[in-house]
Amino acid sequence: MQVNQKRILLSPLDPVHDVGLRMLKKQLDERGHETILLSTDLDNSEIIAQGLYNQVDVVLLSRSIGYGVSELLSDFIDLAEASGLREKAKIAIGGRAIKPELAAELGFDAVFGPHSDMEEAIAFVEGRNYEPFHSHNQTVQKKDILAGHNYDFHLSEIEKLLQQIVDMLLRNVEGQTSPAVERARIREEMFNRCRQNGDDVSFNDRGDMAHLWKEYFKFCEEGIIKSYKNGVFPLGIRSVTSAEINSLEELLVGYDQDDVFPRLANFQLPMVWIQFGTGCPTLDVVHIKTSESWGAEGVIHIDSSKGARMEGLMEGYLAQQGDGSLITAHNFRLLKRVLGRNTKFLVRAHRGLNSPETVLTGALAGADYTKLNIFYGSLHGGTDPERLVVDTVESIKLAAKYNLPFDIPANDELSGVATAKSFAGILIMLALGVRLGAKPILKPLFCYSPDIMLKGYMENNYVDYNAAKVAALQKIVDAPVWAGEPVGFMTHEEDRAQSCISTALHAAMAKSLGIRYLTIASSDEAYAGGPISVPSKIDTLRSVAEAFRFLGDCKINPTQQLELYTEKLIEDIRDILKNAVDTQDFLQALYNGVFGEKSEGASPGINGRNTVFKGGI
Amino acid sequence: MAGLDERIIDTIDLETFLLSETEEEARQNMKAIMEQHGFDDIDIVFAEKHGMGTRIRARAYIYRPGVKYDWLKEPGLI
Repeated sequence: MQVNQKRILLSPLDPVHDVGLRMLKKQLDERGHETILLSTDLDNSEIIAQGLYNQVDVVLLSRSIGYGVSELLSDFIDLAEASGLREKAKIAIGGRAIKPELAAELGFDAVFGPHSDMEEAIAFVEGRNYEPFHSHNQTVQKKDILAGHNYDFHLSEIEKLLQQIVDMLLRNVEGQTSPAVERARIREEMFNRCRQNGDDVSFNDRGDMAHLWKEYFKFCEEGIIKSYKNGVFPLGIRSVTSAEINSLEELLVGYDQDDVFPRLANFQLPMVWIQFGTGCPTLDVVHIKTSESWGAEGVIHIDSSKGARMEGLMEGYLAQQGDGSLITAHNFRLLKRVLGRNTKFLVRAHRGLNSPETVLTGALAGADYTKLNIFYGSLHGGTDPERLVVDTVESIKLAAKYNLPFDIPANDELSGVATAKSFAGILIMLALGVRLGAKPILKPLFCYSPDIMLKGYMENNYVDYNAAKVAALQKIVDAPVWAGEPVGFMTHEEDRAQSCISTALHAAMAKSLGIRYLTIASSDEAYAGGPISVPSKIDTLRSVAEAFRFLGDCKINPTQQLELYTEKLIEDIRDILKNAVDTQDFLQALYNGVFGEKSEGASPGINGRNTVFKGGI
Repeated sequence: MAGLDERIIDTIDLETFLLSETEEEARQNMKAIMEQHGFDDIDIVFAEKHGMGTRIRARAYIYRPGVKYDWLKEPGLI
C-alpha cells in the first residue's frame, strides 16, 4: 500500500519512556515514516521547540503518570498555540493517564486510551479511517471436540465390562416406557405437523392437534395442565409479555455484534463455554450477549430444579425467581435466535422428569449439544433411577436422531462420591451412547470434591489429580474430553479476585492438557444469595483470557503423583465395573450403591418413582 | 457522608455494567451515578466497551493522601 510519508515527533511527558511510544515508533518506521523520538523529562517548551525546528507533521505525546496531568496538557496546548505549532502539526496524546474527555476538551486532535489499538494511532498519522479489529471475522478456527475420536477402547477388560453393563441396562428398559417418553413422542408428532405448515407448536392454535394435546395432558401433572388451559402458572413463575420480548429484540438491534474482546478468540484451544440461567429469558439474553462480547464461544443453559421436578413442559416465555431458567420451546428459541453466528448452545437434560422432551425441544430449537447422565440425575438430581434410565435411553436415541452430541458430566463435585465411581458411571454412559448411535463426550470435573478433600489428593496442588482424571480417561478410551463444570468448582470463594484467579488457573490447566472445550461459570460461583451478575461474568472471561495469554504454548508440569493417581483411578474404575457386573442387574447396582452410597452423599431419587410402565421403547 | 467516613480508609469503588453505545457515554453516566450518591472527588478507574455495553468501575476518593483523616480521631484505630 502506498503511504504518504510523514515526519513525526514522538515525546513522552513522563520521567520515563512509555513503551507504547517506542512500539509506535517502530511500526511507523517500518511503514516508511520519519520519526524523531525525544528523550524523557523534557519541558513542554523544549518539546514544542523540537517540533518547530524539525517541521513535523504530527506530534504524538504520551503520559503514564496520573499526577498533574490536566495542568500539564493544558500548558502544552497553550504553548503550542502561542508558538504556532498548533497550526502546523496535528497533535495527539495517549497513555494510561490520559482521560479522553479532558484531552478532547483541551483541543488535542486525537486521544488514545490505554485500550487503544496501535493501528488506531497509525491510521491517525496517515490520515485514514481506523478499522477496528473484529475477532469474529478474524478468529482462529476452533477444533471440533469430536474430530478425530473414534471411541476405540485401549483397555479391553474395561471395554468388555462396559459392554456387559450396557447389555444389563438395556434389558432393564426393554418393553418399558414413561410419561416423559410418551410426552416426547407426542410433542415430536406435534412438531412434525407444525413444521409441515411452517408453524410453531402452540396450545392456542391446537386445531386438528386437539387430540394430541389431550394425549399430552394424560402424561402431565395438574400444574402443567393448568398453565396451558387456564394460563395459571405454578407459584413464582410468570409469563414474560410480548411487549417485553419486543423491547428486548429492539435493544439488540443496532449494536455491533462483531465488537468482541479479542483475546479469547485468538487461541486455538480451548473453546470457552460459560453457564447462564438467571431464571428470566430476557436477562439470560443479555447475559449471553455480554458473555459473547467478552469472548465466550459457547453457552450452557442451566435449567431450573423446580422445572425438573414437574411432569411436563410448559409453553411461552416464562420467568421465575429461583435457581436456573425454565425449559420451554419459546425460551429456547429466543435464546437460540439471539446467539451470535459462531456461538454454540448446550441444553441440559441430565436430571428431572423431562429429559426426552428437553433433548427434543433443544434439538428443534437449534441447540448444538445436550447433557445426559443417569448417575448424576438419579443419585444427586432427585430422579428415581428406574425412571431416569428409561428416560435417558430415549433421550440418547433422540440425541442420535437429531445429531445432538451429548456431554456426560461426572457427578463427584458436590457429593462425597469417589471420582472412580463417578467415572465408572460416565464410561457406562459413553458405551451406552455409542451403542445407541449417539456422540457422547466425557466431562470430568476440574473440582475440589469432598472425596478429594477427605483423601487429601489436592493437599499439595490442584493440578495432579485433575490431570490424572483426564489421563485415566484417555488411557481407557479414545473419546472427546470436555473440562467441566465449571472448572475450579469448590475452589471458589465469594471474593472476586480469588474466584477469577482460581477459574483462570483451572482453565489454563485445561489448555495445558490440550483439552478442546472447557466450561466456566463466573466469579459469583460461590455466592449463593442470588443469580450471577454480568460484571462477574465479564471479569471471569477476562481473567481466563489473561491466563491463556500468560501460558501461551507452555505446559503446566504435574508432579510424579500424576502417574500414581492415574493408575489408581483406572484400577478403581475396573473394580467398580466388576462389582456392577456381579449384580447381574444394572438397576440393582444403581440402587445398591455400587456407583455411590448414601454415606457418600449418593441417594437414589424419588421423583418419578413407580411411573415406569409397559409400553416398549 | 459524616459518620461512616470515619470508617472508610481511602476510597469507595462502585462497579457495574452499563448499557451504552459508546464508552464515553458510559463514563458520563457512571460519573452521574456517583454524583447522585453524593460523591464529589470521583474518577473512572476502568471502562471497557464491547457489544451492548461497558464494563466500568468508578472510584470515589473519600481521603486523598495527606489530608486530615476522620478515622484518626478514634484513638487506637491505627
